[in-house]
Amino acid sequence: MSVTDLVPPTATQDRTAAGGPPVRRCGPLSLLGASVLPVAGSLAVDTWRVGAVALAVQLLLLPLAVRGWRALLPRLVPVTIAAVSVGWSTWLLGGEADPVAAAVASVLRIAVLVLPGVVLLAWLDPSETGDHLAQRLHLPARAVVAATAALEQLSALAQAWDELSRARRARGLGPGRGPVSRVRWAASTAFGLLVEALRRAARMSVAMDARGFADAAGRSWALPARWALADTVLLVVGALLAAVPLVATALLG
Amino acid sequence: MAAVRVRGLTVAPAGSRPVLRDLDLDVPAGERVLLVGPSGSGKSTLLRALAGLLDAEHDDDGAVTGEVLVGGRPAGPGAAGLLLQDPLDAVVAATAGRDTAFGPENAVLDRPEIWERVARAQAAASFRPGRERDTATLSGGELQRLGLAGALALRPGLLLLDEPTSMLDAPTALAVRDAVLAAAGDSTLVVVDHDVAAWAHVVDRVLVLGADGAVVDDGPPAAVLARAATSTSELWIPGAPVPDPLDVPSELVTPALRLPGGDVALHGRGLRVVRRRRGLRPGPATTVLDGVDAELRTGAVTALTGTSGAGKSTLVAVLAGLLRPTAGDVLAAPGLAARGRREPWRWSSAELATRVGWIPQHPEHGVVRPSVREEVRATGRALGLGAAGDRRADDLLDLLGLAHRADVDPHLLSGGEQRRLGVASALAAGPSLVLADEPSVGQDRATWAVVAGVLRSAARAGAAVAVATHDARLVAACADAEVALAGGRLLPAAGAPAAGPAVGTPADDTPARLAAVRP
Amino acid sequence: MSTTSTTPRSSALARGPLGRWRSLDLVTAAVLGVAFGVVFWGWDVVYNVLSPGFGFFQPAKGLLGGVWLLPAVVGALVVRRPGAALFTELVAASVEYLLGSGWSVGVLISGGLQGLGVEIAVALFAWRRWGAGVAALGGALAAALEALYEAFAYNDWVLGWDLAYGAAFVVSGAVVAGLGGAALVRALARAGALQRFPAGAEHRAAQRA
Repeated sequence: MSVTDLVPPTATQDRTAAGGPPVRRCGPLSLLGASVLPVAGSLAVDTWRVGAVALAVQLLLLPLAVRGWRALLPRLVPVTIAAVSVGWSTWLLGGEADPVAAAVASVLRIAVLVLPGVVLLAWLDPSETGDHLAQRLHLPARAVVAATAALEQLSALAQAWDELSRARRARGLGPGRGPVSRVRWAASTAFGLLVEALRRAARMSVAMDARGFADAAGRSWALPARWALADTVLLVVGALLAAVPLVATALLG
Repeated sequence: MAAVRVRGLTVAPAGSRPVLRDLDLDVPAGERVLLVGPSGSGKSTLLRALAGLLDAEHDDDGAVTGEVLVGGRPAGPGAAGLLLQDPLDAVVAATAGRDTAFGPENAVLDRPEIWERVARAQAAASFRPGRERDTATLSGGELQRLGLAGALALRPGLLLLDEPTSMLDAPTALAVRDAVLAAAGDSTLVVVDHDVAAWAHVVDRVLVLGADGAVVDDGPPAAVLARAATSTSELWIPGAPVPDPLDVPSELVTPALRLPGGDVALHGRGLRVVRRRRGLRPGPATTVLDGVDAELRTGAVTALTGTSGAGKSTLVAVLAGLLRPTAGDVLAAPGLAARGRREPWRWSSAELATRVGWIPQHPEHGVVRPSVREEVRATGRALGLGAAGDRRADDLLDLLGLAHRADVDPHLLSGGEQRRLGVASALAAGPSLVLADEPSVGQDRATWAVVAGVLRSAARAGAAVAVATHDARLVAACADAEVALAGGRLLPAAGAPAAGPAVGTPADDTPARLAAVRP
Repeated sequence: MSTTSTTPRSSALARGPLGRWRSLDLVTAAVLGVAFGVVFWGWDVVYNVLSPGFGFFQPAKGLLGGVWLLPAVVGALVVRRPGAALFTELVAASVEYLLGSGWSVGVLISGGLQGLGVEIAVALFAWRRWGAGVAALGGALAAALEALYEAFAYNDWVLGWDLAYGAAFVVSGAVVAGLGGAALVRALARAGALQRFPAGAEHRAAQRA
């Protein structure tokens, strides 16, 4: 058995082997970078024309980045709600001469802000992200490991939430119709979940310390965190996307 | 392998009495020791001391004194392998290989060495799903083997096991035990487990701790067990008789809404539940319950049995109106209908609480109030039952041996106490349907007799009772009918369990009672 | 630094050098962050009922905003080390992002700013005061930073409405996140969930007194 047989592929290597749009070759840091950069650009979206241009450029690039259109659609629902609620409040409170145009501009601005993050999220692997944050950005290793380990508890905690809320329903303490009753129900269930989280964390830290986590000043990593050409390209594209609204403002006035 | 030497170990956690008192212990290298004792006797604390974790733990105003040597050196974290009760607590990574690699990463091994250790440790632990398997998709038995691999990856000379099989059903527990024994090789082994019978014949020595944290007995298994069986021990010693369920005064368990004895109080037809795993890596939809029929009759205890993952808890949740089935019907007797609705999942919370008592699988999730007394009274208060409701709640608390803990926060109770509180709280408002999920876990012989007695007496007083359980003793002592599940489906040939004693319920003369299941 | 001799007015502190986190501190802050991520998920049941009520007066929505700042306050009051608020809030925000928040990576920016707000407040007291007052200040600062970010990145309102929203948010941050978070930590200590943390030691000291 050779060493290369022993070391499993990284998430990026898996994606690269699978085939798909070019973004699949990118690692987590460039994915995050290209998601965050357009946020800065979106601040420059002041008119609906600029917003439309910026969004159009993003939409043109979409085929290079989407991992399954069917999976993308449900992710767009909360985004749409967020954008529309902002647009509506602008129409209501913006005090602009043309409230409709202002509302459309703010809807487009939110779309430009969130769309890259929503599309690229599909490629992001949390534990691979941890590897890269610690090995490339040199964030504190133990904090990164604790965070990725905690993420593994997400479904157990979601299940605990279900059982906690079932217990409240069975005891005659379920959420009623009124807002006060719902707030009380949510607060009580959330408290139970936090108790569960704290107990779970105490047991986890015992298990982790028994495996040498307690005094791991240095630490090696089972998987490498490579930076590829594709990562550089994606980061540059992200920066260009951030510049689009600025350029469009200059050109369109 | 590593010898263990403990001298004068006293552990007093902040704000409570010592859990270990001046303990001396010598374990020669390679010896296998079973550690038993009542809950609160400091078994887990001793294991943590041997694992070298107490210094890290008691850095607030608790106190640890004495000496713990493993292999001649003071015990430090990472030197001994530790396997915990809930295998989920040890999962730190998304894939099995990455998880086993956690220890070697902390030991700053280089990459080829890490993966060689992973391969060897997983083979030694009989963990076969492979290193790229998503840890969220592993069964309980597989997870515990993965935990074992994680412990072995650091090549410990001492292996410590804290109730490693208590959350597994009997066949899986035996398989995990055998994997541990095979993997332990010539390592020193110290295991804590309530299941004395499973370990007594494969260890060299049994050590009994008393309630005050001191060694009560110590010696070869046969001799220690013989002495324990003659004493009035509350431990479950192999061969000792199962206690009789207690007869509970009927006014404590009588339903508020009464149905004629022997009637079908609740039935499910073709129940199907499809669930999608939530979380960061949502899995494909899995069918956890498929085409299950079940009937609960007043006056009868129906046992829901099957291995872990068979769908028992899901069936309980559906029958209790806490989960809407994906397909199939669940209908209560017309006498239990609320606003004309007979499907429990359509009842409001108050309507449900009037009719159903639910004892959750994880009793700490059932806690709704900051003190034991308020907890047991909560449902009655929510339903406006007044002083009578409070009185019945307090009497149940007394019956279940919790009255002296009435002012304590329920989260501070032991696991066994929390479960008994769950039983009291579920019955306090006089439910017609009692649905219990593993009610007997963590009980000693005395409290077991009370829990079993409450369930059986509730049925005799006219409730329909269903109990999802791994506890064969409970099935034998209480059940009038059995629904056996495997992989979310009914096992055929289910019916009254052979050992089920005939109980004098109003339903005794109805032959249909025995056919609680129609396959 | 004995916790047994502290008077009720001063706070129990984390043991050892402030920057040296125990494994328990790290794992607890991280799991708390994940748990809050789940709570926010369940919070929708409430939020969806309440928010139409604010439909005609959007700035009042800020009154609900304090809930999103709770991870930072609770993480800080539990662990009591520099960075605890930021770490806990960032983990909670990551969970929101990974589960598909409507604001996408925006929640990471919000999480960072909110955590920072609480960090500033506890740093002002040199990480030695952890009472309700500091918590309220932390919640208010976190809310102010978040409101500022939202005014720039999301909302196109006239200044007056921005200020009204910011004021509502700051009140909510101080009351819901600050005072509420401090009460929550005390309740968690009473439930025995913080036995190995300074808040647990405070609870034991109060019981002895």
